[in-house]
Amino acid sequence: MSNELNDRLRAALRPVDPGERFTQSVLARIASEPAASRPTVRPMRNASLPWLSATALATLVALALMIEHQHKAQHVEAGLEARRQVMEALRVTSEKLDVAYRVVKDKDLPGTEKRGA
Amino acid sequence: MNANDPSTSEELLTRALAGEAAAFGMLVRAHQAAVYSLALRMLSDRHEAEDLAQEVFLGLHRHLASVESALHLEFWLRKVTVNRAIDHLRRRPRNDLSLEDAGVLISDTTDSDPLLQRRLRTLLAQLPPAPRAVMLLRYQEDLNPNEIARTLNMSINTVKSHLQRSLATLRERLGANGHSQCGAGPLGCFTDETGSLT
Repeated sequence: MSNELNDRLRAALRPVDPGERFTQSVLARIASEPAASRPTVRPMRNASLPWLSATALATLVALALMIEHQHKAQHVEAGLEARRQVMEALRVTSEKLDVAYRVVKDKDLPGTEKRGA
Repeated sequence: MNANDPSTSEELLTRALAGEAAAFGMLVRAHQAAVYSLALRMLSDRHEAEDLAQEVFLGLHRHLASVESALHLEFWLRKVTVNRAIDHLRRRPRNDLSLEDAGVLISDTTDSDPLLQRRLRTLLAQLPPAPRAVMLLRYQEDLNPNEIARTLNMSINTVKSHLQRSLATLRERLGANGHSQCGAGPLGCFTDETGSLT
């Protein structure tokens, strides 16, 4: 009693098969389509796909680490070079100060003798 | 080989993806009744339905690489068929179809009450496109409201509302045409099943 309308609807809406001629028409239309509109073949779509993804991911991570390492090495090298340049500048400055000190000291020698006499 | 068997469908899909035309032909053979019937009952015109169904399979062939499984294939076919049919109906001039013809055209049954079934199909063809699609997915494709909602990109409440209103309309119109809704009429007492389809 309760589901009679539902059952009648299901019976009235049974699928209708268009027949073999329909299948052949579809295949004929596909065959006549230009190659560009045909699907791209996807040969590895099952079990090998996760491994491929994992390998690709590992390669990317390794590449990223390598680039990071190179970047750090370049940074350290630049730091060392800067340090070397500062030390060189200090050395040159020190030498100049030495020279200036000696000149001043040589000029002051007679006075020193006076004070000592 | 039974193409409706899920494992066989998966195998056919893999072979079709590898470019095997015969495998694609078997996929078409396995799904053409559902696709053609949806198109036919949405459009109520055999020629238009056949064209639309062929276009759907041509589209499937072009987009085969994006189909992930046999279940996805069924979902894709129903969704594309119904959406294309609704688009087609929007472009079609109104009132160019005899609804009595619709019942005759779609008739393909050996049921004991062909007149009532013809009447049901005619009444379904009178529903607006969206509720008609919902009713077809429910009663032809046997989908539950959640599956219908996903297929038609509707909310579950809209689907249930379409089902309830459509069933009420069918009951009312069948009653108005001389079929009692309860008792001696051909359908006895009607109750719909939307309340239990949560």
